[in-house]
Amino acid sequence: MSHIDQKTPPKRESRLNACIAHGGTICEMAAGKGKKSCLQSDGERSFTQGSICLLLPALGMLNSLPDNVVLMHSAIGCGSCSHSQNANVRFGSGIRQGKAKDAIWISTSMNETDVITGGEEKLEQAIIEADRRYKPFSITVVSGCVPGIIGDDIDGVVQRIQPEVNARLLPVHCEGFKTKIWATAYDAVYHGIGRTLLRGGEQPADADGLLPYQGLQRLKTTVNLMNVSSMGRVDELELEKLLNSLRLDVNIFPVFAHPESMVKATQAALSISTCPTHDDYFLTYLEERFGVPALIHHMPIGIENTGLWLRDVAARFGREQDAERTIEYEETELKAALAEFRPLFEGKRVFISAGEFRALATARLMEELGFQVVGIRSFHHDKFAEVEYEKLAKSSTEDYVVDIADVQPFEEANLLRRLKPDLFLGHANGNGTASKLGIPTHAIYHTGLAYIGYKGAYEIARRLHRLLKNPTYNRKLGENLRLPYKDEWYGASPFTYITKGGATA
Amino acid sequence: MSDNFIERSRYTCAQGGAAATVTALPGGIPILHSPSGCAGNFAWTQNGGAGLQVGGYCGTLTMPSSNVQERDVVFGGDSRLREQIENTLKVMDGEIYGVLTSCVTEVIGDDIKSVVAEFKKKGVPIIGAETAGFKGNSYKGYDLVLQSLFKDFLERDLAKNKKRVNLWGIIPSYDPFWRGNLEEVRRLLEQIGLEVNSFFLANDSIETIRQAGSASLNIVLSDVYGLGAAELFEEIHTTPYVSLALPIGASATESFLRTVGKAAGVNSKRVDSVINSEKKRYYRYLEPLTDCFTDLDLQRYAIVVGDANNATAVTRFLADDLGWLPEITVCTDSLQAPEQKRLQEQLKHLESQYPSTLIFESDGSRIIDHLKKKWPTNGSKYQNTFGPAFVIGSSLDRELAIEIGAPHLSVSFPVANRAILDRGYTGFRGGLRLIEDLLGTVVAGR
Repeated sequence: MSHIDQKTPPKRESRLNACIAHGGTICEMAAGKGKKSCLQSDGERSFTQGSICLLLPALGMLNSLPDNVVLMHSAIGCGSCSHSQNANVRFGSGIRQGKAKDAIWISTSMNETDVITGGEEKLEQAIIEADRRYKPFSITVVSGCVPGIIGDDIDGVVQRIQPEVNARLLPVHCEGFKTKIWATAYDAVYHGIGRTLLRGGEQPADADGLLPYQGLQRLKTTVNLMNVSSMGRVDELELEKLLNSLRLDVNIFPVFAHPESMVKATQAALSISTCPTHDDYFLTYLEERFGVPALIHHMPIGIENTGLWLRDVAARFGREQDAERTIEYEETELKAALAEFRPLFEGKRVFISAGEFRALATARLMEELGFQVVGIRSFHHDKFAEVEYEKLAKSSTEDYVVDIADVQPFEEANLLRRLKPDLFLGHANGNGTASKLGIPTHAIYHTGLAYIGYKGAYEIARRLHRLLKNPTYNRKLGENLRLPYKDEWYGASPFTYITKGGATA
Repeated sequence: MSDNFIERSRYTCAQGGAAATVTALPGGIPILHSPSGCAGNFAWTQNGGAGLQVGGYCGTLTMPSSNVQERDVVFGGDSRLREQIENTLKVMDGEIYGVLTSCVTEVIGDDIKSVVAEFKKKGVPIIGAETAGFKGNSYKGYDLVLQSLFKDFLERDLAKNKKRVNLWGIIPSYDPFWRGNLEEVRRLLEQIGLEVNSFFLANDSIETIRQAGSASLNIVLSDVYGLGAAELFEEIHTTPYVSLALPIGASATESFLRTVGKAAGVNSKRVDSVINSEKKRYYRYLEPLTDCFTDLDLQRYAIVVGDANNATAVTRFLADDLGWLPEITVCTDSLQAPEQKRLQEQLKHLESQYPSTLIFESDGSRIIDHLKKKWPTNGSKYQNTFGPAFVIGSSLDRELAIEIGAPHLSVSFPVANRAILDRGYTGFRGGLRLIEDLLGTVVAGR
């Protein structure tokens, strides 16, 4: 039995020993490999600020799916985050399908009575009505905390109702209180896709090994390019171009992919991750059941990382020479183009905050652009990133702080006041603290902008150059606003409230 | 409207409204007793719906939150909450702290009342409200926070000050125009000689809020939101209230000021003189619009879609001031029968007597069906069709506007496609703003 045979996927703190509370340094994180590191026991905070739960990134993916209705089974608030995700959906569908379209998300809006009597019947009726009203290809039935805590069985409901409706029903478990690692979201979504859309097409192996979805052929030069909902079309196009230079065809999956087309993922000769935090669960499934091997090493952000990523792919197809040609051509052109920005960047100190892999890959890029990294906050930590910490420990001349935190802006405020960086790069919805401290701040992702590959490296540099040419907006904010922390807090250790697992900085 | 689901709800849950409300108080620090995701959900909701405003002094992911996990569900979250509040007081610099419960912590039966009471006893400026998402929407959460503020924070038994009034009924962030809307009404009330506490504006202070019980009148700018709090206020502090629709533009504002003036015992001559001078300014500014308004034929049919505060108020402005034809008014909130009746009453008494059809429909994608029913098309050459038209609603009503080939303006949550800072549509000045925004949209391609 593998995970996909279970009703719900395991949480990542169990599956990967992922952790969210640790104060360390880049050298210490890099040395953690193979030793008893923070991975063995996560810390705890005795003071915490709000964060997100797995529901939010899960909806980021689900809202993007064309011809799908997101049916939230929870109280009315769960899923209202879709209002901001809808901007991505509109932009993304506009650029991919030529027409900006609103996502469809609906909610059973469980009330006090439902909490007492259970909400399964309401959910059944909601599925039937949504199927008739919207006539979608699929309905993703997403459970929030309330059904999780009162014991509604959404899988049972889906099983009962599926024969009565045309839409394919995908249960997706997002009970926020059950995992502190929001990256469990990706597993939850992939779990639903795998169990509902793919599992029925699994076949017994033939002499060559495992086969694609029943009725489909293996495509020997097609690769799955795993996108993420924080990736815009412009980034996909950059990677597609690079893979085409290796004479490979590309199947982009799963964000904005039509649910009906998801079976195509089983035909590919290789799955290529762009973010190991995102994909390991599903890539393991594709490999174990459909014989699609996976590459899950580097994130193609930054010059060196993009090259490593591309070389890995090329090696699988014996096309190393193609890769070298592309890399040399791209790097030569890019490095010449970056020269005009370097004088402004050289030696400037930067703090980086984001999902672990994105933060680390971007840190490497910042070094390549001439910045000095003075601190990193990763939203969680697991084993996939160890190699990235090693890269950074090697490339940096000085040790610097690494805060493993599911955001926790109070630690960040404390660190930023000490470090006084010249630039802050942070995840969307996590840039207010640095901005209000007067630090020039840039978003580490925004789905309309380029970040990935050689094109992304140039465009980030171009945007940072623009920002640093006139950082007045942030400077004036810093002069006129204050953050909601007591003065004493800035004098305390930033990791005062990490009570177990230990702070080493 | 479906009995089984709500489509793309134009609000979030009670806790979300409550959190935005505490954030908007002077020095307000919300403390969520929640799983980790509630704060982020509210931040993303505001990001997508509140006219590019997210948070404030302490909002978004800065809000303290107990981040309860599975083990707290098993063993109870009281001790985690106690620890969280203690440490919040060490780290966060606030003038008032508001503990807000969530679905999870209410289902497991955490006793926040006694935990909050422990801290209150020590002199901490703290309130608590039970705002589980399954109790209702963001408007409900707003009301619940005001209730605990009135019950547990305001000083009691203060002597009444005849000139003093309190003003509420507009929800921070979930009405993206809340600041501008409150500011203009406050300005007008001050013009007629009243001292105003409006809780959430830059010129409010925690001290004036503490003294709010000394007011002689409470003015609730809503027929639906904040009324539970008004009842409770009257019960505890004996101050009566008037519940009045959002006054947009000259006609509505004139009658609003007369009603309030009367209720607050303001000399009617003073009210008249303020109305006269404001109206003079209003029409002086409209005067030079007249040529273009006429020459460009800027009268429009309209569909108005909004929450319980905005829908009927905008319709009244269109019908009674601008002379537009608001054929259909859609309220997207799920309301109780008496609340629906109050909104119906508003449209029954339009000065223009324009017959707008009021529909209660939570699902935006159904509005087109209501329009087709009222304005069926038969494809004939000489049919009197619904046009030229305009859709005034939320950014979710753009698809409707595209479908009927009409321009569109977002004025009600979600407003994803506009930046709103201190813009408001209330009062005389707000009426002018709304005319600017409507006509500006019509002539954008000129």
